[in-house]
Amino acid sequence: MDFKRRNGGPLAGGASQAKRGKGMNDWEDSPSQFEEELLMLDEAEMDSEEMEGQAGHDVIPVGDLFSADLNPRWRRPHAPSLDPSSDTLVFQQIDLDYYLGSAVAGMPGQSQGKVPIIRMFGVTDSGNSVCCHVHGFAPYFYVPAPSGFTSAYLGEFQRELNSVVLKDMRSNKDNISVTVLAVDITRKENMYGYHGKQSLDFLQITMAMPRLIAPAKRLLEQGFKFGPFPLQCYQAFEANIDFEIRFMVDSDVVGCCWIELPKGKYRLREEKSVGDDSQYPGMVSLCQYEVDVGWTDLISHPAEGEWQRIAPLRVLSFDIECAGRKGIFPEPDKDPVIQIASMVQRQGETEPFIRTVFTLQSCASIVGSQILCFTQEKQLLQAWAEFLRTVDPDIITGYNIQNFDFPYLLNRAAALKVNYFPYLGRVRNTKSVLRDLNFQSKQMGRRENKTINMEGRVQFDLLQVLLRDYKLRSYSLNAVSFHFLQEQKEDVQHSIITDLQNGNEQTRRRLAVYCLKDAYLPLRLLQKLMCVINYMEMARVTGVPLTYLLSRGQQIKVVSQLLRQAMKQDLVMPVVKTEGGEDYTGATVIEPEKGYYSVPIATLDFSSLYPSIMMAHNLCYTTLLQKGSVEKLGLSPDDFIKTPTGDRFVKSSVRKGLLPEILENLLSARKRAKAELKKETDPFKKQVLDGRQLALKISANSVYGFTGAQVGKLPCLEISQSVTGFGRQMIETTKKLVESKYTLSNGYQADAKVIYGDTDSVMVKLGVATVSEAMEIGREAAEWVSSHFTPPIKLEFEKVYYPYLLINKKRYAGLYFSSSADTHDKMDCKGIETVRRDNCPLVANLINTCLQKILIDRDPQGAVDHAKEVISDLLCNRIDISQLVITKELTRTAQEYAGKQAHVELAERMRKRDAGSAPNLGDRVPYVIIKAAKGAAAYMKSEDPIYVLENNIPIDTQYYLEQQLSKPLLRIFEPILGESKAESVLLKGDHTRCKTVLTSKVGGLMAFAQKRSTCIGCKAVLKTDAAVCDFCKKKESELYQKEIFHLNALEERFSRLWTQCQRCQGSLHEDVLCTSRDCPIFYMRKKVQKDLDDQSKLVSRFGW
Amino acid sequence: MFSDLSAQKEGSSLLCRPASEDQGPAVFERTSLAYSPSSERYGVGERSFSRQYAHIYAARLMQMRPLLSQRAKEKWGSDVLIKKLCDLEKGEQCCIVGTLFKRMELQPSILKEISEEHNLLPQPARAKYISETDELILEDELQRIKLEGKIDKDKCVTGSVIAIYGAERNDGKFTVEDFCTADLPLQTARPSLSSDRFVLLASGLGLGSSRADSMLGLQLLVDMVTGQLGDLGEQSGAATISRVLLAGNLLSQSTQDKDASTKAKYLTKKTQAGSVEAIRLLDELLLQLVASVPVDVMPGQYDPTNYTLPQQPLHRCMFPLSSVYPTLQLASNPYQADIDGVRFLGTSGQNVCDIQRYSSMESHVEILEETLRLRHLAPTAPDTLGCYPFYLKDPFILEECPHIYFSGNAPAFESKLIKGPDGQEVLLVTVPEFSSTQTACLINLRTLHCEPISFSAFSADDDEESEMNISH
Repeated sequence: MDFKRRNGGPLAGGASQAKRGKGMNDWEDSPSQFEEELLMLDEAEMDSEEMEGQAGHDVIPVGDLFSADLNPRWRRPHAPSLDPSSDTLVFQQIDLDYYLGSAVAGMPGQSQGKVPIIRMFGVTDSGNSVCCHVHGFAPYFYVPAPSGFTSAYLGEFQRELNSVVLKDMRSNKDNISVTVLAVDITRKENMYGYHGKQSLDFLQITMAMPRLIAPAKRLLEQGFKFGPFPLQCYQAFEANIDFEIRFMVDSDVVGCCWIELPKGKYRLREEKSVGDDSQYPGMVSLCQYEVDVGWTDLISHPAEGEWQRIAPLRVLSFDIECAGRKGIFPEPDKDPVIQIASMVQRQGETEPFIRTVFTLQSCASIVGSQILCFTQEKQLLQAWAEFLRTVDPDIITGYNIQNFDFPYLLNRAAALKVNYFPYLGRVRNTKSVLRDLNFQSKQMGRRENKTINMEGRVQFDLLQVLLRDYKLRSYSLNAVSFHFLQEQKEDVQHSIITDLQNGNEQTRRRLAVYCLKDAYLPLRLLQKLMCVINYMEMARVTGVPLTYLLSRGQQIKVVSQLLRQAMKQDLVMPVVKTEGGEDYTGATVIEPEKGYYSVPIATLDFSSLYPSIMMAHNLCYTTLLQKGSVEKLGLSPDDFIKTPTGDRFVKSSVRKGLLPEILENLLSARKRAKAELKKETDPFKKQVLDGRQLALKISANSVYGFTGAQVGKLPCLEISQSVTGFGRQMIETTKKLVESKYTLSNGYQADAKVIYGDTDSVMVKLGVATVSEAMEIGREAAEWVSSHFTPPIKLEFEKVYYPYLLINKKRYAGLYFSSSADTHDKMDCKGIETVRRDNCPLVANLINTCLQKILIDRDPQGAVDHAKEVISDLLCNRIDISQLVITKELTRTAQEYAGKQAHVELAERMRKRDAGSAPNLGDRVPYVIIKAAKGAAAYMKSEDPIYVLENNIPIDTQYYLEQQLSKPLLRIFEPILGESKAESVLLKGDHTRCKTVLTSKVGGLMAFAQKRSTCIGCKAVLKTDAAVCDFCKKKESELYQKEIFHLNALEERFSRLWTQCQRCQGSLHEDVLCTSRDCPIFYMRKKVQKDLDDQSKLVSRFGW
Repeated sequence: MFSDLSAQKEGSSLLCRPASEDQGPAVFERTSLAYSPSSERYGVGERSFSRQYAHIYAARLMQMRPLLSQRAKEKWGSDVLIKKLCDLEKGEQCCIVGTLFKRMELQPSILKEISEEHNLLPQPARAKYISETDELILEDELQRIKLEGKIDKDKCVTGSVIAIYGAERNDGKFTVEDFCTADLPLQTARPSLSSDRFVLLASGLGLGSSRADSMLGLQLLVDMVTGQLGDLGEQSGAATISRVLLAGNLLSQSTQDKDASTKAKYLTKKTQAGSVEAIRLLDELLLQLVASVPVDVMPGQYDPTNYTLPQQPLHRCMFPLSSVYPTLQLASNPYQADIDGVRFLGTSGQNVCDIQRYSSMESHVEILEETLRLRHLAPTAPDTLGCYPFYLKDPFILEECPHIYFSGNAPAFESKLIKGPDGQEVLLVTVPEFSSTQTACLINLRTLHCEPISFSAFSADDDEESEMNISH
């Protein structure tokens, strides 16, 4: 549905994290993102703790509501009984959170009051669900011990801190009496800066609850006095770590890892019957096994070997349809939910094993799917919630479910007072609540997201995944599925949905089929893009829970790894006050020598440049020498290095840095994964390994970004600027070395010339004629230059571009030769208008075709001719209108926009014409620019493409030529034709002189005009409606043949287009309803209908 | 037969002494026939393209359902359960009437062709589009179901209306045990003729191609028909050819200027259609024919008329010379006429070629028979074969059984006499493409016998085979 993109859209412009790669671009937005993270964290913390307050009243029945309909496939496989004393329990953990609850008898930890309990949800190999309560782990942080502190003062410190924290609390509704559980002295070292390996006394302060850490830290930082010690400020360490991460780090648990509970070490919870007063709590979750375990008793298996496998997770995908009123975006307090389609698939299988549709009113049967019809909407919602709880999915997916479907369902259920509905998580008495999440960032602007808590289930909104990972022209489900699956889906306009619903059981069936497809596509995409596998691998590699990957930024992943590494060396991480600091110079580029190179250009790349610089030069927090440290520690010049930016770091001989170590682990793990990938034959395991190596690569690159994120957890300008400094220096060095060795005077064929260099690569013109020679010299040069750098920095020969079109910085295109010297692997285009969304598709297509002609066919003249033809077609109204459509999202009403904007004005005008089909807030508005009176404001020249087609309104071709096509065209042709010539050849000349001018059927003087037939041959005005004038009669046959061929071609097009739509909609006997404007043939099939009717009329003037 | 006929005539071979002057030139009166065209169902009056194709499928199914229900009862007993898909119950043995749809991976898709992202990969041109992964689906007005079991999916084509017998299995697929088609419609009796009369069928003249050698063969054909060839015997034989039917593709494919519609206007403004010269040639050729014999001209795939079936007759304005004669009949494609009481029905071959591409069937005559059994001229229209979006009727359903059922532009001549369940007798003829085979065919209306007739002028390898022995 169109409105599904409602909230997903605003970030479309930003989708900044798209295609994470190397370099620093990815990090531009991270500071603000991080602020948000903090904000979110606090909120989440408050919420999760508050939730415990409302425990206990509603107990949710499972499967009672429609036990008659209950499909045996819905339930999870039967769970065999488990004996804790003789059976070990092994499961894959997929979600992890914590709650505050009462201590459980026999479990470690504090026994009084509310204690934090970690809760893990998972699935066993046989597909049974597990909920595991982990006891005994408490939150803590560190402060440095004041000088003169001894263990004798520990008690006094604890008492005093406890009392100030208690005093600080505004209310104490939980009646907490003990806030500080323990204070211990340990030897630790500050991670930030090199201090000559001295460990100091640190106080480890263990608090009763995670939310008490923040006030304790604040109080200590503001100044704290106890015993004989004077009032002083204490810097806090590791006080800003999420409790879940703290636990995972300390217990060596990573995201989605396998957990083993050894026999005899855990307790199984049972269903508690009324009046059962046993000291042990009963089951509180919907899971098949629910157990308690002490935090030191569980075994976490590192994700290697057999532990790389993935449990048979249940993935549910769903889609809802609502019956909106004409012209109004559906509102949950008024408009009913009429259908919910759901598909459930086991991870690793190819087909869903459950397909159901819940419909309001009767619906004809659909082969292969179960249909449940309801007369009351209340029952429908309640039954679906039952269904969800019975199926018990581990992962819930869909398209824009996070911002549309779930919020709508929850609000609708609230409006109808379906009280049992909002319990969608796995914890029985925890209500799923909708929250707004505001996300402010410099780059993306404000963006509103909604979140719903659903304990134990991972929400995997495919739209969010795509927004994060892919840069696309359109994010509609239709466009996305065409892009990835080459499959169109039928798109039913929402105004027609209500009509279908109000029809009969057959029209509702049609709607249900459509709804099912919308639920099915996300599953297909998830599988095709290997999202689950890749994200799981990322969670394992970086050690954070799966849910963090979609809801949090990059930083948390590095923090998790940093903590794991630091713990091994007894290092502690300081809490730093973050503020935006001055910027540092990014990677510079070697000024490009623009041009079209019809000789092979070898490209030398530094592999994993930034990670390898950090490893080579031992750049780390722990090796950083702050001002004066050299003198203070008495280091000799051999002990440290000075970076190009003047910062100093000790060498690894003195101390090996943490970051280099993390990077080494990541990169060697990646090497291993790649080696295994080569050996592996099973396609599914191959996918896992490929996902793993990709995750490792991305993680390695994110370490550098972490140090440069200025509002991050631990920014370190010295590291990040040194890294880029080294990078710049190395590019320069490479250029010098290559140009000095590969010269005529050294016996080579020509003087090599570096024509361009970017962050981590240099392009060299070697002067050789063939790709294979270029490859040979390139390989040799890479090796030779590498020997000048500290390992593991390595310059690699990667590819040859031949030919190569260098347009400007970061803008180039070339044929990419890598695997073989004979055939190219692909056409590589960087920074050229191919996906930019503010252009019309014509630009991207034209540029793309021209580049192909230039590069693949090596036919620059052909490219020029093609460009001319397209320009001529444009001027003659022969371009398909879909190519000219510009799309913008309507995010606010006209009053709210400061300036007048084309798409907003159009939406207003369309509303006046027909309120029913006008775009709503949140819809994307497609428009074309039409000819208008001279001097008309640009925003008045927008028009609905359908309206344009129907009324024959002329397009402003000049606008398209000058504003859209000319710049990108000149850009690629200037290096070929020369700057002055490009313009005169392309934009002037014969091809621009033949124009077709349409006469509009609406507006202006058209109402007064009278149409007269003209001779088809000479355009002379005729008195009758005959085809030709007397003078042209002798040419009638020729004229007829030209027109009949045109008719012939149009008819062929008509039949191909409309039968294609029939195939796509999956029905021969029903009319095509689809209104998907993203579909490339949508406007075409409309236009061909019109053209054909016109041409038919014309031909009929000859008489059949 | 025809050649035998001429061979029997004694004393009038070319090698004999010239006939004496006073006898005067022999005059053979051309046998004339009763002719009534009945192609009106293939004419299109007011044309409108604002409709979609669903209607033609719906009309087809509605009209075919009673016929198929009848056949189903005949085949599986009168108590066979005939159901609609929406009433289908799992495991129940029943019969369902519906339209076949074959989902084909290799089928060319206009979507892929115009897709911006994939313009790097042109779809390979194929002779056949069937593959292992094809799925056969049966659809009625409301629903569709996948088929498996005893039905050859490779042989079936989209758009055929059939009745299937079997049951739905657990996985939502219908297991077919047997199926039947509507089979031949009823036939009116053929009058018995007293003498041999011939109709000459030719197709694919291919005028305007760069290959000039076929022109000589064509001229021979014209000369033969008009009685300019051979001895008196042969000439008298020629006089029994009472009608000539040209079944499409009078022009060659090369006259089709497919570029013209895609090429920029500034480049094509001054050019004229590629068919102009060829049409002029055709006019002259027809002039020779129509002066002595009635000629029916059907348009074909490459001829200057509309694209979708039914193709409308070629326009008279293109034939300023020949259209003066009343003997020139510009007919539609498909073609239907009664010639001396013998019903002719046929097409220029698009329907057969299309089925050949989308099924495993190879032989044109086999496909011809299959369409007759399906009681539908062009089942693949509109899916893969262009067709006008008819609204209330499907003119391609056969309502009356022809006596002669032909298709043009076949790779080779084939003919076959088949019998229907109700005693129908139909001669199937595939008329070979003349430009490549130099072959036409003659049908004897009296006996319904058919034979090829070749005019290979210079073909080095098979001169001897030319039956008329008129080469050199």
